[in-house]
Amino acid sequence: MNLQNQNGYMLLFRGNDWIKPLSPEEKQKVTDQWMAWFKRLTEQGKAVAGNPLEREGKVVSGNNRIVSDGPFAESKEAIGGYFLLDVPTMDEALVIAKECPGLPYGVKVEVRPVAAECPVASEFKREAEFATI
Amino acid sequence: MNALEMSNNGYLLLFHGNEWWKELGREELEQYIPQSNGWLENLMTTGKVKGGQALARSGVIVSGKNGCNVTDGPFAESKEVVGGYLLLNVETFEEAVAIAKTCPQLAFGGKVEVRPLTNECPSQVHLEELTREEQLATA
Repeated sequence: MNLQNQNGYMLLFRGNDWIKPLSPEEKQKVTDQWMAWFKRLTEQGKAVAGNPLEREGKVVSGNNRIVSDGPFAESKEAIGGYFLLDVPTMDEALVIAKECPGLPYGVKVEVRPVAAECPVASEFKREAEFATI
Repeated sequence: MNALEMSNNGYLLLFHGNEWWKELGREELEQYIPQSNGWLENLMTTGKVKGGQALARSGVIVSGKNGCNVTDGPFAESKEVVGGYLLLNVETFEEAVAIAKTCPQLAFGGKVEVRPLTNECPSQVHLEELTREEQLATA
């Protein structure tokens, strides 16, 4: 894996409905923790964007542009929000991912390096270079 | 393309599908790539896009208390993996879906998830709902 990445990293928070079984006190606690976490990362310049996503939406697929309702993937894998991190290494992105206040409640954090260019185009370029050798 | 800026509103398109382009031949790629570039360029020049990036096909999943489990991908089911995103600067969900329908990846098996952004943490919203219900029950 490429550990240096000047394009940053994306955290995708996966998990749906993990909130519902929590007591009101736990809900308040995890919400406060999450907001404080994002505020600190923003102030440190490590988070450049982030939002929760509404638990609704559509999926568009196929040549016929079929529009279907969520849930998306399996609901426990559904994406509930994201942070975009401006940090130089996967190690640093991982340290931040491990701080996620949702982890004790079953949230999974997917950590993905942002790509410099569309992978389709880079693959195509590689093939074209190979073909000319 | 630039990364996302802080966003108060709008819609997020998530592009699903794992390395579907590997199935394409030269002719299809030569057709798809300019289509895709033109699509993005058009959305950017009309001010419909605030940001967007492709995601590398690598990464890890962190789970468990204090992030004790770190595993390599694949993520979700590999055909549901997110390969990139666009943040749309449009007013309505209908317009976001209309843009998703014009995505050139659809012709090659890609899927586009359209999600409204929110400012409010859903756990906070749920807590407020519960509080309102309790107040109604005791009223």
